[in-house]
Amino acid sequence: MKNIKRILAITFICVMACSCKKSFLELSPVSNANANNFYKTKADFEVAINSAYATLYVIYAPEEAVSYTEIMSDEGTLYAVAGAQADKWAIRDYTATASNTLVYQYWQDYYKALFNINNVLDKIQAAGLDADYTNHVKGEMMFLRGLYYYNMVQLFGGVPLVTKVISADESYGVLRSPVADVYNQVVTDLKFAVDNLPLANAVPAPGRASKGAAETVLGKVYLSLGNKTAATQVLQDVYNSGQYNLLPQYPALFGANVKNTKESVFEIQYLGGSASNPYSPYWTAFAPVTNGVITKYGGGINQVTDDLYNEYEAGDPRRDASIETGYTDAKGNFVKIKFPKKWEDRTAPVSGTQELSNNNFMVLRYADVLLLLSEATGDATYLNQVRARVGLPAFGSAEYPSAQYPTLPLAVEHERKVELALEFHRFFDLKRTGRALTVLTAKGKAVTEQRLILPIPQYVITQNNKITQNPGY
Amino acid sequence: MKIKQIHSCGHPIAYYKAYLPIFKYVFIFTFLFCLRASAYAYPKNSSITINPNHPEIKDIRVKGKVVDEKGLPLVGVTVKQEGTKFGAITNVNGEYELTVQSGAQLTFSYIGFNSQTVSVKGTADMETLNITLKVNTSGKQLNEIIVVGYGTQSKRAVTGSIASIKYDNFKDRTNSNVTQSLAGELPGVSITQAQGAPGSTPIIKIRGTSSITAGTNPLYVVDGLPLENFNLNYINPQDIESIDVLKDASSTAIYGSRGANGVVIVTTKLGKPGQTSVNASYEYGIQDVTRRIDLMNAQQFIQYYVDAHNNAWVALGGGHSASDPNSARTSAYKIPEDFTTNPGQFGNGTNWQDVMFRSAPLQNAQVSVSGGTDKTQFLFSVGYLNQDAVLDANYYKRLSLRTNIKHRISDHFTVGTNLSFTGIFDRTDGVAGKSDVVSLGLQSDPIFPVYTETGSLGFRDPNSTWYRFIPYSDLIEWHPYSLTREIEAQNKSFNTLATGFLEYKIIDGLKFRTSVNANLYNNSYNSYSNAGQGYGYSAVLPAQGVTRSNYSLNWLTENTLTYDKQLGDHGLNALIGYTAQHERDEYSQLVSSNFPNDLVHTLNAGTASSGTSTASEWAMVSYLARVNYNYKNRYFLTGTVRRDGSSRFGTNSKWGYFPSVSAGWLISDEDFMKKTELISNLKLRASYGVAGNNQIPNYGPTSLLSTSNYVSGTALASGLTVSNISNPNLKWEKTNQFNLGIDIGIIKNRVNFTAEFYNSITNNLLLNVPVPDITGFSTQLTNIGKVRNRGLEFSLNTKNTTGAFKWSTDFNLSFNRNKVLQLGPGNAPLLFTDYVVQVKTQVGQPVSNFYGYIFDGVYKNQAAIDASPHVAGTTPGEPIVRDVNKDGKIDANDQTTIGNAQANFASGITNTFSYKGFEFSFMFQGSFGGQITNQLTRYLGIWNGGRNAYAGVANYWKSESDPGDGIHFKPSINPTAMEQSFSSYWVESATWVRLKNIRLSYTLPKSWLRNMPVKGARIYVNAENVHLFSKYKNFDPENTTYPSTVPSSTPSTGVPSGAFYGVDYGSYPVPRVITFGAKVDF
Repeated sequence: MKNIKRILAITFICVMACSCKKSFLELSPVSNANANNFYKTKADFEVAINSAYATLYVIYAPEEAVSYTEIMSDEGTLYAVAGAQADKWAIRDYTATASNTLVYQYWQDYYKALFNINNVLDKIQAAGLDADYTNHVKGEMMFLRGLYYYNMVQLFGGVPLVTKVISADESYGVLRSPVADVYNQVVTDLKFAVDNLPLANAVPAPGRASKGAAETVLGKVYLSLGNKTAATQVLQDVYNSGQYNLLPQYPALFGANVKNTKESVFEIQYLGGSASNPYSPYWTAFAPVTNGVITKYGGGINQVTDDLYNEYEAGDPRRDASIETGYTDAKGNFVKIKFPKKWEDRTAPVSGTQELSNNNFMVLRYADVLLLLSEATGDATYLNQVRARVGLPAFGSAEYPSAQYPTLPLAVEHERKVELALEFHRFFDLKRTGRALTVLTAKGKAVTEQRLILPIPQYVITQNNKITQNPGY
Repeated sequence: MKIKQIHSCGHPIAYYKAYLPIFKYVFIFTFLFCLRASAYAYPKNSSITINPNHPEIKDIRVKGKVVDEKGLPLVGVTVKQEGTKFGAITNVNGEYELTVQSGAQLTFSYIGFNSQTVSVKGTADMETLNITLKVNTSGKQLNEIIVVGYGTQSKRAVTGSIASIKYDNFKDRTNSNVTQSLAGELPGVSITQAQGAPGSTPIIKIRGTSSITAGTNPLYVVDGLPLENFNLNYINPQDIESIDVLKDASSTAIYGSRGANGVVIVTTKLGKPGQTSVNASYEYGIQDVTRRIDLMNAQQFIQYYVDAHNNAWVALGGGHSASDPNSARTSAYKIPEDFTTNPGQFGNGTNWQDVMFRSAPLQNAQVSVSGGTDKTQFLFSVGYLNQDAVLDANYYKRLSLRTNIKHRISDHFTVGTNLSFTGIFDRTDGVAGKSDVVSLGLQSDPIFPVYTETGSLGFRDPNSTWYRFIPYSDLIEWHPYSLTREIEAQNKSFNTLATGFLEYKIIDGLKFRTSVNANLYNNSYNSYSNAGQGYGYSAVLPAQGVTRSNYSLNWLTENTLTYDKQLGDHGLNALIGYTAQHERDEYSQLVSSNFPNDLVHTLNAGTASSGTSTASEWAMVSYLARVNYNYKNRYFLTGTVRRDGSSRFGTNSKWGYFPSVSAGWLISDEDFMKKTELISNLKLRASYGVAGNNQIPNYGPTSLLSTSNYVSGTALASGLTVSNISNPNLKWEKTNQFNLGIDIGIIKNRVNFTAEFYNSITNNLLLNVPVPDITGFSTQLTNIGKVRNRGLEFSLNTKNTTGAFKWSTDFNLSFNRNKVLQLGPGNAPLLFTDYVVQVKTQVGQPVSNFYGYIFDGVYKNQAAIDASPHVAGTTPGEPIVRDVNKDGKIDANDQTTIGNAQANFASGITNTFSYKGFEFSFMFQGSFGGQITNQLTRYLGIWNGGRNAYAGVANYWKSESDPGDGIHFKPSINPTAMEQSFSSYWVESATWVRLKNIRLSYTLPKSWLRNMPVKGARIYVNAENVHLFSKYKNFDPENTTYPSTVPSSTPSTGVPSGAFYGVDYGSYPVPRVITFGAKVDF
């Protein structure tokens, strides 16, 4: 009997001990927010939109595709870069293969960015917020998506079109779309953005997409498609919007604290000073490697060719505002090497090997719009506004070096090269005007028509063998 | 299986020769002999009598002494009066004393000896009863106690696969982590000293690689507390009584969702009833890096530098010539004048390994006090290890304290507590490979001096004449001191492991036990880098201060009920239990920069530039049950089941069951076998069990948001983005394992042989399954895939000679074959790349094949190029790449399997000799048939920005008439893409044999100690890692730079480091350690 009591007592203790609360096993993440209870309020969406804009940091990073178009063009090059950098040389030399790790990186980064954008688009559709807000958010997202697909179609040709969040299973069925379909998507997205975004003076915060920004990209897209009429129409709209002006002084466009000027049409916002901020990476990346003086380290990316340096007309102030010709080392000797100056920030605080610079990056600016207008209309007025700012003679005037640039298209090509130097335009400009092969071959680049687009990464094809490779790879 | 060394009895040598052809193998390694210490000395006087409350009157006081056949006293023999619960235990002199009634039966029992029952016949008040117990030869090991999950078993009853090692087996080994001392001793247990830094945890893999993405570390159970990814450095090896490694799934199933990688049970010591014993020991050791990497000297390097520049300059075309002066060249192709005009000034240059490594002393002092009565037993111990590392400025200091107490309150209640505290102060650099000091030191160019004439460390010093080399951005110097002396760094770690338990005997045979266990870990790391780092680093960096801290609290409550009953021939032992466990980990880091000067090194002197803190938790609840049944102690049957619920598992799969069943048949106890003289032990075992691997991320099933901020105006604008795809079905990996074992003892167990076969299939592999990147993700964490490990393990112990001169041999051999049976959707192979090295896991192949091109030497001339498929533009002196798919062109499709780190078989052999007080043993360990990827090839095998290179590279192709060794290609500062690709040029044989350990000890004769207050003394010499036989270019083919996979708290889409097992990216060499020690018992 005594034993039975003991057994009962122990059983009781056991049952008590075992009747653990269910919540013991239901642990929520401590240091991460949980996606399940997010995407409900406008405040949630403001945070989600920011993360979509943050993809610009990746897509326009110095080590990304659009930046590397500089070394594919005649403006930029690479010198001896520390470390095994075969994949970088290969991009410059048009010898990239399908297994080039940078190319795969570009591919992944674009689709990661598109996921962020599509995710916001899917969620805002389901959130049931007011129509104005919903359309504005959609406009911003579709602006970014249009911009990215436009970059991608120029880099890779036809790519798989992903316009919503897709599962892994669904993704096997999404194959490469023809180039024309990609352009259709770009036009659709940008038109929606044009119709639903406010003018630059009414955007919710500096750096957010505006109607003018969407129109400018759309204008370029139309030019790429050979539709000068449509291009003229949207670009004229930007021209007449009263939102933009050329700054009086070209050098004033750049600087660590020059932000969102009247000339800026779409600008990526950086914030220096702390390693935990999205600081500007360009100054460190574009400085020569192991200079040890102007930056602690240097990336050596997009070093400047003599070709670009020599493109400037005599007395053009843009040359010295754009290009550094060297630096003084710790012993006081001048080391000759040309590199970009536009994102210079010599007073940035340093964290580790990285300057925490503050410079913004202009994806689109008004001078670009003006030059596109001349390209679309055949009217040199806009081009000459750009030249007038830097005190150079107008196209058509006697002083214009018409021996070198006898036609307006060539004058625009020249002007874009020097005005927008190193701002990631040159290669896409040459592709748009169909001059890439002619110009780059003449500069000694071993490029063919097929090599003007990158290979589809081998790994993408390994994952889904229905994805086709670009010819010539 | 059989690890413990055996003292034994005499038999002629002829016997084993007849039965052991394997003995030839033994002889190959045998070149020395020595003697075995006899048992410890015991005191002559003093006696503590354990005499429980005896009833009353008419009693006889019985006393006496219990000795073995050699007349040595036996301590701790249980003397029990039959039919009562009264008894006594012999003291350190083997003496006992108790009071019984006349005619009582006294049973003397002692583990490993035949029990004896004697009647107390006399009528006097006082009776002396001296007993001699005989060794139980047939069943000696069978009575050995083996620790199993949630209990113990006699070896006789073990039906699973368990390797048990006692303290004696590692007592003189100097390793700070006890598992280092077990490497090569346990078949089926691969213990790899991946990094040689003091305190580095070995990588342990039990029975192959069963996981690709989830953790592969075994579960550690320290005094009952299961801990994942525990560092055994926090347990002083001197405090450990035994290590039991549970290998098969039937043994580990009782640990449920944590058992699939095997379980290592660590049991700490407790005093024995009898006289208090005080043990003190002191060791002094010297550590050296005996095996160096053969790198170019200054003259070889200069030639290499000059040729690499000239070759590249000429290859640019445009009529360039190798004789063009610097003035004609662009900057990257310029060569320092010093190299062309006066290379002799550099001599042989600096051997950076001599600068980086040193002879390092270690000291280890221990004191322990143990003892007790039959009611209370205790152990107090303190140990202090003070170890300099072979790497400059590095060290490891450990203080460990332990108190173990067990007290019987009454017949029903027993309580106990184990409390250990360990504090470690260390500086451990060089283990991260790649950009860590050991790797960087190897890459430094030999032309630079240890100190420049200004006393600075490198050529970046503008005041030094060496500054003239600055324009040559491809001269590399990472002075080791810039990382060891110009950076101040220290880790402080504190670990407290505590266990408290209460046992309640409800009725005879039924026992309730409840315990609370906790492990508290704290670590703080502080570092400060001096501004400029003495100009010895690759950049002149500003000062930086870092502080990091980790905190982890793990607690467990455990309640078990056991019932033990013998009914005639039927023996039953049943267990049910409930446990709940919880862990919280916290991490924080703060970085400060902009220090005005180097005067103050704490972060307050600079401005904080970044900081973070994170935390994560997991919890689990388990129910467990086990039944052991035996019939006639000859037929054994065990069944277990555990039910685990874990916070880590998805909402759709919160709970899992893990059952097992096993059976054993002790054939040698059958009547028909008893006549056989030859076979003294024969047992068959079979088991099948299911165990899980829960080492998946804490929040793996959840779709998490991660920070991705943007900027609004001049302020940060908070941004959040989805960082992974949610998977509510996510759960443990499940391993089903079948095990078949046979134990054979021949000639009164002079020869013991164990063979085991296992077949293990892991299902629901946790994989970051690659998904098309167009989803926005590269991978998704999914339970999919299947891998099989199948293997054979053999162990053989022989007592080759007995008598005064004893010689015994322990040999083990294990084979494991690993094969992937299924992967993600469409069985798409998993390809991971990290710094050029590619590993590919595909169905039908072992996990993580090295995957790249095959280089078939170097093209000697243009004719050879024209005659074979080649990459366009190939010139003489470039590598011949094999056209693997024979399609006539060289492209990505020619990549193929070029090796795997998994060995075909591994083996270890220990010979032990003893004579009088001397004991000598040596151990060889070997691994055969694996490959290693030398990732340093990226730096030292190929021109890479001016780094130094292997001396062998100097035999490169120079011209058609001087084509070099046909292996090393023409250097160029612009190596071709193919030269830089991952290829067979990077992969080497990882077959090796190591003289792992030599021990010599001498136990001082008692006669020497007669007039001293010392009971026994022993001196010894121990040498670890004595010599390595291997062709590997780097320090050690066991080096692996990538850690074994430890799950992060959040799902990672990165490369799982565990997939890169057997990839050496400049690891820390494992030093040779020679220790001299003395142990004294008071």
